[in-house]
Amino acid sequence: MKKFLKRTIGIALSMTLVASLAACGTKASDANADAGSQEPAAVDFSKESVTAIVPYDAGGGTDTVMRALADAAKGSFKNITVENRSGAGGATGMLAGANAAADGKTITMTTVELTTLEAMGTNAGLTYSQFKPIMMVNSAASAITVKADDTRFNTLEDVLEYSKSNGFQMGNSGNGAIWHLAAAGLAKAADTQFTHVGYDGAAGAITDLLGGHIDGVAVSYAEVANYVASGDLKVLAVLSDNRLEAIPDVPTAKESGYDVVLGTWRGLAVPAATPQEVVDELYRIFSEAAQSEDFVTFMNNSNNVIEIMDGPSYEARMAKDLETYTALIEDLGLKVQ
Amino acid sequence: MLIQVLQSALEPMVLLYMALGVAAGICIGALPGLTATMGVALLLPLTFGMDAESGILMLLGIYVGAIYGGSISAILLHTPGTPASAATAIDGYEFSKRGEAGRALGISTISSYIGGLVSVLCLWLISPQLAKLALKFSSAEFFLLAFFGLCIIANISGKDMEKGLICGLLGILVATIGIDSVTSYIRFSHNVNLLSGVPYIPVMIGLFAMSQGFESIETIYDKDEVNCKVTKILPHKEDWKVILRTAPITGLIGTFIGIIPGAGADIGSFVGYNTARSLSKTPEEFGKGSPEAVAASEGGNNGVTGGAMIPMLTLGVPGDAVAAIMIGALTIQGLTPGPMLFQNNKVLVYTIFFGMFIANTFMLLMGLSCIRLFTKVLSVPKTVLTPIIFVLCVIGSFAMRNNLFDVGVMLVSGIVGYLLSKIKVPTSPAILGLILGPMAEKNFRTALLKSGGSVNVFFNTPICWFFLILIFITLFGKHIKGFFLSFNKQKG
Repeated sequence: MKKFLKRTIGIALSMTLVASLAACGTKASDANADAGSQEPAAVDFSKESVTAIVPYDAGGGTDTVMRALADAAKGSFKNITVENRSGAGGATGMLAGANAAADGKTITMTTVELTTLEAMGTNAGLTYSQFKPIMMVNSAASAITVKADDTRFNTLEDVLEYSKSNGFQMGNSGNGAIWHLAAAGLAKAADTQFTHVGYDGAAGAITDLLGGHIDGVAVSYAEVANYVASGDLKVLAVLSDNRLEAIPDVPTAKESGYDVVLGTWRGLAVPAATPQEVVDELYRIFSEAAQSEDFVTFMNNSNNVIEIMDGPSYEARMAKDLETYTALIEDLGLKVQ
Repeated sequence: MLIQVLQSALEPMVLLYMALGVAAGICIGALPGLTATMGVALLLPLTFGMDAESGILMLLGIYVGAIYGGSISAILLHTPGTPASAATAIDGYEFSKRGEAGRALGISTISSYIGGLVSVLCLWLISPQLAKLALKFSSAEFFLLAFFGLCIIANISGKDMEKGLICGLLGILVATIGIDSVTSYIRFSHNVNLLSGVPYIPVMIGLFAMSQGFESIETIYDKDEVNCKVTKILPHKEDWKVILRTAPITGLIGTFIGIIPGAGADIGSFVGYNTARSLSKTPEEFGKGSPEAVAASEGGNNGVTGGAMIPMLTLGVPGDAVAAIMIGALTIQGLTPGPMLFQNNKVLVYTIFFGMFIANTFMLLMGLSCIRLFTKVLSVPKTVLTPIIFVLCVIGSFAMRNNLFDVGVMLVSGIVGYLLSKIKVPTSPAILGLILGPMAEKNFRTALLKSGGSVNVFFNTPICWFFLILIFITLFGKHIKGFFLSFNKQKG
C-alpha cells in the first residue's frame, strides 16, 4: 500500500507538473487533490484522471475531434486531459501511448498512419499489435476532386483516360501520406499512373488546385466541401463502399468498376496488455460520448463522418489496411530500407 | 449593417474577451517557447461554448498580442518570445545593453500597432482582390520567396559575411535531418524524435536564450551599471520620424507575406527587416541597435496578422498556422470560411475586421502602459534572472510537444550558440537556414516535379520575376550602387 501510495503521489505530482508546464487552458490542477486516497476499482473511471494522447499538433483535425470527444466524455472521468505529442508523422505520440502503463488511464488517438507508417518503414518500431483497440470513431474516404470549370474532366473515367496519355498531376497531403496512397491505389486498380505532388497537409494541395497549378486532388470530402459548395471544385468519385450522404449524386469508384475503398480513420486504443474489462468500460464510455448530441453536432459542423466500430472490427480493419498499404507502397517504391 | 457591426463588436462581453485575449497573448508571446500558434490552439477549446463573435475575436486578440509580446523578451533578454521576433532580438537587445530598453519597447509597441493597423486596413478594404494573389503562389514562387529570405543572411551577418554564411549553411544542413518530404528517404536520423526533423523552436530558444544565460553567468556577480530608468514612454521626435517612415512599409510587406499561405510572422519580420535595411540611409547601423531595425521587424510581423486572415476569410485557405486553427474555430461554430462566408455572414466578417482593429488598439494601450513594468525585469539581479531564464528555456522547449528530447535539442543548441558567440559568429543566420531551408528545398523539388524537370518553371510568371529581381537587388544592389557612384565621380 505504501509503495502504491508513493507511486500515485509521484504520478499525480508529475502530472500536475506536466499540466502546468504545458501551460494549457485545461485546468488539471486538481490532479493531486486526493491522490492515493483509494484503490482504483478496475472498471470505475469516475475517480480517475485520464490522459488522451493526440499524436498531432493542437488545433488540427485529429486534435479537435479528440478534444470534442473528451469534452463529451468528461462526465465519466474525474478528469480527462488531452495531450499533444506530435512528431515523426504521428509515430512519436503513438509510440508514447503504446508504451504507457496498461491501466486504461492513457488512451491514444490512433489514426490510419498507424498502418501506413509501418508499411513505409518509418514507424520506428510502432505496430498496431502494440495496441488494444477500443473503438473506431470516425472515417473519411478519398474524394477525387478537380476544378469545377475544368471541362476536360467530368467523370472518373475522364481522369483515368487522361492520365494514361498526358500525365495527371494529383495533389496529396504529403509523400506516403494517406491521400497519396489512396490516389496510388486508384491508379493501380485502373492500371494507370498519376504524377503525385506532395504538400504539407491537404490545405496546400487544395490551394494549389484552386490556383490551377495541378489537375486534381484525392483528399477527403470534408476538406473540399467548402469549395464544392461555393462552386469552385467538383467531386468526380469517392473511394468508399457507399455513396456519401452529403453528396448522393457522386458515384463511388466501385460503381465504375474499380474496387478501391481507401481512406483515413481515427479511433481510440490503449496498450495491448490492458485488461479486457477496462477496455470494455472505456468502450461503453466513449461510444456513449460519440453518440451524444454535442459531439454529433460538432462532427456534422466540421464535415466529419462518425463511424463507430467496436474493438475487434477496428483491429480487423487495421490488419487489412496494413496489408493493402504494404502492397501499395512496395509497388510505388516508397518503402524505406 | 454598420450599426449591427458596431453593436456586436462593442458589446461589453466581446470587448472583455478581446482584452483578456490580448493580455493572455502578450504573456504567451513573451514567454520563450510559447508561440502564437500554441496560444491560440490551447485556448481554442474555451471558445467552443462562446458565440462566434466572442470566440473568434478572443482568438484574434491572442494572436495579435502574442506576436507583439514576443518582442518584449527579445528586447529585454535577447530571447525572442516567438520566432516572429527573432529579427527584433538582433537590434532590440542592443538598446537594453545601452540602457535604452524603454525606448526600444516604445518603438516596438508603436510599430507593432502601425503594422497591425496597415494590415487591418488591407483586410478591410481590398481583401477579395488581394486574396486572389494567394492562389497565384505555387511551388516555384514559394521557392523563390524562400530563396529571397535566405539572401537576408548576407545582410544580417554584418561585417563577418563568411561567418554568417557558414552559420546559415549549418542551419540548412541541420534542416535536412529527418524524412525527406519528396522521396521519404530517412536522412541522418537514428532517433524516432528526429524523423520529422530538428524542431526549430527549441533550437531558437537554445541559440538565443540559453546561450545568453550562459554568457551572463560569466559576469553573474558583477554589478550592472546599465541604467534602465524609463524617463519617457512615448518615443521622442526623431524616433517617431523613423517609425512613421518604416513601420507602414514593413507592415504592408508583412501583410503580403501573411496572405501567402505557408509563410508566417517569422518570415514577415525578417523580410521587413531586410527591406528596411535595403531602403535605409544608414544600413550600417542595422545590427547595432538601430531604431529603424526594431520598427521594421515589429511592423513586419504584426502586419502578418491581418494578412493571414485575408485568404482565410475570403477563400478558406489559411495564410499561416494560426489562421489554420481559426478555420477550425469557425467550423466548430458552424461557419464555413471561404467565399460563402462573405455572402451569408457579412455582419460577422465585418465584425472580425473591426474587432481586429480594436484588438490592435488594446495591444497598443496595454503595451504602452506596461513598459515601465516590463523594464523592471532588467533591474532584477542576474543571480535571480539567469536561473529564471534557464527554467523558462527548459519549460518552453518541453511545452512545444511535451517531449523531453526537445529539451536536449535546446541544451545542445544553447552550448553551440554560446561557443559561436565566443568566436563572434552571428547565430540568427542559423535560424533562418533552419526555417527557410526546408521550404526552399521542398518547393524547388516539387516545382521541378510538376514541370517535368524543366527549370523554366522558375522564370514563367510575373511573381517569379518579381522575386528574381528582388534577389538580384539584395545580393548585388550595393555593388551596382557603388559602380554607378564611382562612374559618376570619374565623369565629374
